[in-house]
Amino acid sequence: MADDMNNMFRMISIISFVATILVIGICCVAFPCCKECRWGPLAILRRIIRVFTMLLLEQKLSPVGALRKLVYLLALLCFLVLAITSFYPVLVLKEPIHGYWLILHATFAPVFAICLAVLAVMWAGNCRFNKSDWPWLKRILERVTLTKRAGEEFSNECFGLGQKITFWLIVVLALPLILSIISSMFVLFGTHWQELLLDIHRYTALVFAIVAILHIYLMIRAKMGE
Amino acid sequence: MKKGLIVTVILVWAVFVWPAPTVCFANEVVGADTDEKLLGDESDGSRAIFIHLIPMYPENEDGKKGFKITSDDEVLLPFSTRWTCEACHSYAAISKGWHFNAVDSNVAPGRLGQPWILVDASIGTQIPLSYRPWPQTFKPEQVGLTLRQFTKLFGRHTPGSGAGELESRDPDEFTRELISGKLEINCLACHNADPAQDQGEYAIQIARENFRWAAAASCEFACVNGSAIDMPDTYDPFMPMPLDDPKKVPPSVRYRENTFDQDNWVFFDITRKVANERCYFCHSDLDVGSNGPERWAADEDMHLMAGLRCVDCHRNGVEHNIIRGYEGEEFISANPLATTSSCEGCHTTGRLGAPLLKHSHAGMPPVHFDKLSCTACHSGPWPREKTGLTKTSRAHSLGIAGINKSPEVLPHILYPVFAKQSNGKITPYKMFWPAFWGTVKEGKVTPINLEVVRETIGIILAKQKLPRSGDWRILTTEHIAEALDSLQKKIEGKAVYISGGKLYKKDDKGKLVTAEHDAAKPYLWPIAHNVRPAAQSLGIRRCEDCHATDAPFFFGAVAVDSPIAEERATSKEMIEFQESNRFYTWAFAFSFVFRPWLKIVALSCCGILAGVLLLYALRALACIVELLTGRG
Repeated sequence: MADDMNNMFRMISIISFVATILVIGICCVAFPCCKECRWGPLAILRRIIRVFTMLLLEQKLSPVGALRKLVYLLALLCFLVLAITSFYPVLVLKEPIHGYWLILHATFAPVFAICLAVLAVMWAGNCRFNKSDWPWLKRILERVTLTKRAGEEFSNECFGLGQKITFWLIVVLALPLILSIISSMFVLFGTHWQELLLDIHRYTALVFAIVAILHIYLMIRAKMGE
Repeated sequence: MKKGLIVTVILVWAVFVWPAPTVCFANEVVGADTDEKLLGDESDGSRAIFIHLIPMYPENEDGKKGFKITSDDEVLLPFSTRWTCEACHSYAAISKGWHFNAVDSNVAPGRLGQPWILVDASIGTQIPLSYRPWPQTFKPEQVGLTLRQFTKLFGRHTPGSGAGELESRDPDEFTRELISGKLEINCLACHNADPAQDQGEYAIQIARENFRWAAAASCEFACVNGSAIDMPDTYDPFMPMPLDDPKKVPPSVRYRENTFDQDNWVFFDITRKVANERCYFCHSDLDVGSNGPERWAADEDMHLMAGLRCVDCHRNGVEHNIIRGYEGEEFISANPLATTSSCEGCHTTGRLGAPLLKHSHAGMPPVHFDKLSCTACHSGPWPREKTGLTKTSRAHSLGIAGINKSPEVLPHILYPVFAKQSNGKITPYKMFWPAFWGTVKEGKVTPINLEVVRETIGIILAKQKLPRSGDWRILTTEHIAEALDSLQKKIEGKAVYISGGKLYKKDDKGKLVTAEHDAAKPYLWPIAHNVRPAAQSLGIRRCEDCHATDAPFFFGAVAVDSPIAEERATSKEMIEFQESNRFYTWAFAFSFVFRPWLKIVALSCCGILAGVLLLYALRALACIVELLTGRG
């Protein structure tokens, strides 16, 4: 029974990751981030170097901005470690997370949780949805409420709609992700609930990972477009 | 022409028609031996107790069913359980049961069980013996024990049959076998509900070689005197003649008054529901020394305290293929209840009122069920900083009058040892370190016949005092070296001594050296009982019951037991028996120091995340309300 569940999770995970990568790939090709994008080896290498330079702290950043970026980079590192330590044993080694994988996972998890909390506080304001995010919704609302205002467009947005959605999804998903595993450490839930919590944790982690990958892609894409 | 036709008809009849009834008859005979169910072999569905008011039959001089025993018989013979009970119960089927089939090489040995431990402190020997092909055990004949000698030594804690019922392969013992008889299945050992059933007396009769009389002696209405061991080879128990030596008393049986009714039938108080005390005679154990309490202060298995009996789980049908109750038994057992009679069988279905597994184990990650057996947390004593000693009925002859009650008496069985079993789960074990003199041929160690060892090195080792406590005679490496030299002259192959997990041998230069060898590894068998309730299970206090950097579960000391003085103070770490990485286990345990911080940090972060979500959700709600009301 447990093996069946593990196999099912493994298959779902593989399909989900492959689909995510395909979507990103198609998106890259179909909607290139810059006009007249070239696909030669040199151009690709240049873009890769560009992505790596994004990891560096720009001089123009204020102390708060630098802190925000540092936290973001730390969260990114933690996410990578957590994703590898959790999915590599399950997908590649075909065994549940244990041993040193588990120790690494449990070590980086609280750091990631702190980073998420800090980022949520720091980024929430910038990631607020506003009327410009959904012009079609604005139009519908204006018709429904029979009001029309002009000259109220927000123009200082640094995040696109996709980034905002993925940001809020990350914040929302972080709650069941953390709570499912932390609550299982308290003497509250019996075996049946423990199994359920573990399932919640791993399936939430899968969705979280996909959303995080999309978020990172959108961030890179936005930076490349600048 | 006519003659030819007649001859043809006769031939056809002879070939096709005549053999038919012969074959049919042959089939019927076979059917009678194998398939025919006797009166007591099949239940009619009644749950009432069948009253066993029955005639008793002895075994006659031909080994067949004798005449009915009556109170007027001139020479009273002991009743034979085989011929008395076989009128209604298939003895052949019963004798294939787990308690009787050790000598049958076709029987799957299943999970490792407690072996018979042959002990001789004078020659530094404690060696695991079994007729079952359990790894690391030796066949009794390998140490020079005949079937009869084995029965005499260990039949005391068996319900008969097995080696005791096989014909000796030793011609010298044939006459002795005629005198003592065979050790039949002692049905009463388990099924006699009368409180006067005395297995201690049974053991005494076996020591006297009164195999034929042992079952009768154990029951409440018979009394046996005399000793077959004292009888000359010419003695005939069926036509006993007066002996020259008045001190020697031939074995004889007397039946108490009122045993027989007017028809010379006898009432046997037989029960299907075997009392726990009957099982306990062979399956008791005692925690020795300061670590453990006296019997009166010790708690029983919680299943028994809850009102269950041993046989409620350990069930069998007429074939007596009793359920041992371990995980995976269903794959080799023909008993249809083997699947549902394990811990999991009851605790996942609620059978027999068992608390359900899915509602328990709060706070315990399910991975524990993959890595630990149920008994790891629920059976035997809690893990200790250093293993203690235990005694068992079969190893220490518990329950028999006059045994050595010293705590140090051999064999030294250590427990609890938490080791990995073949299915990869950690399980509590009892164990002992084999010690014996052997010979190495092609890398394989086989024990030397004990008689040869006693004759050869008995004098050398006798220089050391043999403690009255039954403990080891303390030896030194010099003794071992000298003894090996003496043995080498008597045997083929390289003489070695196994003890304390090491193999001692002389190298080419004549120097005593030690080496690792599989034969020197300790013999372990799992602990199943006593089962402790959830409130006393391992891990009930906190995770650190096991996941601490000094937790005995992983880092407890397993004493090394040996007669060699230099080895006696040494020990091994529990983790060595678990095939786990010590650093990883330590590091994982160390991480539990930070577990409370992890919880605090994670919950605080969740609080912040929830706060941010709530705040912006309320803001969003305000926006929507403003927009819908046209005030935005």
